[in-house]
Amino acid sequence: MLRIFNIVSEEFTMPFQEKSAWVMSIALFAGAAFYFKAVVEASAALGYLAPPNVPTLVSYAVILIVIAVVGHIVITVLAPDDANEATDERERRANDRAGHLSGYVLGIGVLLALGVYLFTYDGNVMFYVLFGSLMLSQLVEYGLLVLLLRTRIF
Amino acid sequence: MTQSELGKAIGVTRQTIAAIEQDRYSPSLESAFRIARVFGVGLEDVFYWAD
Repeated sequence: MLRIFNIVSEEFTMPFQEKSAWVMSIALFAGAAFYFKAVVEASAALGYLAPPNVPTLVSYAVILIVIAVVGHIVITVLAPDDANEATDERERRANDRAGHLSGYVLGIGVLLALGVYLFTYDGNVMFYVLFGSLMLSQLVEYGLLVLLLRTRIF
Repeated sequence: MTQSELGKAIGVTRQTIAAIEQDRYSPSLESAFRIARVFGVGLEDVFYWAD
């Protein structure tokens, strides 16, 4: 615990790492919503689960990249001093912890995909479970980063 | 001294200083010593442990 020596508290502002995490969360969520909507619509048109295809994946990647780049430009322009600061020890610990925990999400997703394949021999379903796990683990990582920066690193 | 000034002095962000003050983060030993040095006092004059 810190004994305060006349330190003047300042108005709360979000650290750059947290702003970046929010931007990436929005980008990932928008990309995931687009991708799975496209898969659902294609599957409805076909009458069975649509196989993954490259154009849809490319569109997902473009959406993700555009939102991420534009979002980061905006948060950098609004607070250039914050953007130029190096990550400090607390942010590095929060990053490490969030990455570690999101790894469990990805690992469970991979096991689930393998299990699904063993029971169905359906490669398309396996692909979607794997891809969904990847997206979910990334969303969990950024969500955890925000939580850890706002509360306490656990 | 403001949180920003203390943060700059020891190499952490203002939000980290706020987190230390609010007992939401325990700094590294290096940062703790740097804080003590900024105020020109010993470590135990700045940090205390309450069970």
